Amino acid sequence: MAVVTRQELRDLWVGGRGLLLAFAFSVLLSAITYLGATNQALNFLERREAVNLTLQVAVGVGALLALLAAADAISGERERGTLESLLLTPVDRPGLVAGKLLAALSLWLGALVVTVPYVWFLGHDVGAAGEAIGTGALAGTLLAIALTAFGIVVSSLADSNRVSLSVCLFTLLALFAPTQLPAGAQHGWAGEALLRVNPVTAAEHYVGAVVVDQHGWTRDLSWLVSPLVAAIALTVVAVVVVPRFLRLRGGVGG
Amino acid sequence: MNLEAHALTKAYRTLVAVHELSFTAGAGEVIGLLGPNGAGKTTAIRVLTTILAPSAGSFAVAGIAHTRPAEIRRRIGVLPESAGYPDRQTGAEFLRYHARLFGQSAASARATAAALLEEVGLAERRDSPIANYSRGMRQRLGIARALLNDPSVVFLDEPTLGLDPAGQEQVLRVVRSISGERAATVVLSTHMLGEVEEVCSRVLILNRGHLVADGTVADVARRAAAPRRGRFRVPAEARDGAVLALETVPGLGAVRPDDGRAGWLVVDAADVDVEGAAAALGAVGIPLLAFELEGARLSDAYLAMTEAG
Repeated sequence: MAVVTRQELRDLWVGGRGLLLAFAFSVLLSAITYLGATNQALNFLERREAVNLTLQVAVGVGALLALLAAADAISGERERGTLESLLLTPVDRPGLVAGKLLAALSLWLGALVVTVPYVWFLGHDVGAAGEAIGTGALAGTLLAIALTAFGIVVSSLADSNRVSLSVCLFTLLALFAPTQLPAGAQHGWAGEALLRVNPVTAAEHYVGAVVVDQHGWTRDLSWLVSPLVAAIALTVVAVVVVPRFLRLRGGVGG
Repeated sequence: MNLEAHALTKAYRTLVAVHELSFTAGAGEVIGLLGPNGAGKTTAIRVLTTILAPSAGSFAVAGIAHTRPAEIRRRIGVLPESAGYPDRQTGAEFLRYHARLFGQSAASARATAAALLEEVGLAERRDSPIANYSRGMRQRLGIARALLNDPSVVFLDEPTLGLDPAGQEQVLRVVRSISGERAATVVLSTHMLGEVEEVCSRVLILNRGHLVADGTVADVARRAAAPRRGRFRVPAEARDGAVLALETVPGLGAVRPDDGRAGWLVVDAADVDVEGAAAALGAVGIPLLAFELEGARLSDAYLAMTEAG
């Protein structure tokens, strides 16, 4: 697994795609931080809300980057004709998949590192920087693990890279959709259940509760149950189940 | 035996891609695997290389049963059909990575990669990105990858497809050295019958998943060629006399003029007695100017045994 991870990291980061994505991510955060901190005409947010907004974007986009890398991991090899050569090596298939998963996850870690100075810049005046970074790292990492593992599963089943990327993007948008519901619809038992079950909305709610509402680390930990369960369950599926059905063609047959 | 297959079958629902394939291959043998498109060649190779599980039957590589696929993968080298390569990696990086996947240390992987690049004639391009390699260079890189683990059996699926004659010759040279210097068994799947005649010690012909021929190139050609057709050339003005003379030769059967070719006579026979024919013609003072025997080439056998014919 270590050999696969090292090579995948090298391809991702030395090959240039990782650095390019990290740069684009930093440009996005720069724009948001600039608007949140210095533009008087547009800056209608309290400083903690500005920190929260930046963090929510960082978690969402950072997890998206990891998801996209994972979505390409197996279907991309299949499409480029390089999967057969990998399957012909004696490397155990769970190790192969785990190596790809870890490499994809490194994009989230890269995004997190890029996020730190922006959050510190926005939050240190109001004493929110440390808890915001810690909260973002915790919730974002769980979310990124879940989405990366999901991307690997989809990638192993998809016949083409295009299908894999489309399914992953559609799923992520569907998971983010409830955040656009009117505030009224997010209250009540049904609204809260929907937000809690959905790992994306649950993670974002937890971040907001700690950073904006200043609830402390532990009071809303129950909101991290669904990201935690999703991360564990999808990782098990990706690393234990997927390798058993890894095929030259997508799908579960043959 | 390096490779043994017994009644190996691969079926996809109702489609039987490979039907009860049985053969053995020893060290240093080059086995030509022939058949028209869809005959089951690539499926057979994918089963034998553990990419696909057999539906029935069994096989063993270097004595290792097919039920231990990871161990088999340590003993085989494969150039897959339409193999892809990571364009951004250099040839040396690609080989080093795969050597590491076979469990070699970093230093050993470096040495193995350098030696193999030299062996397949890519040493000077070792640090060029694979994106800049020609098709022939990629095929040779793929063969180098197949040799990283010093395999007992090497499977090459269409290694010369799309190569120019010089590229084909380079690949065939490597194939010869694999069987000669490394004493490995080579299974060469190809549509190029000339290649098979040139490098293969044995040939297997598949047709619709069934093995229809197994033997040396000469054996297979001879078996499939019966009945053969012989053509005798005599002076045009002596044709009628030659027909009468040849009809006296035992085993030649009916003798008839070859339409459109003046002076040529055709006979159908399993074994054409050329010496007897020449003697019969000589007895009546007719010289035998030329003789042709059809059906003694591998291509004739291939066409006769497969739906391609």
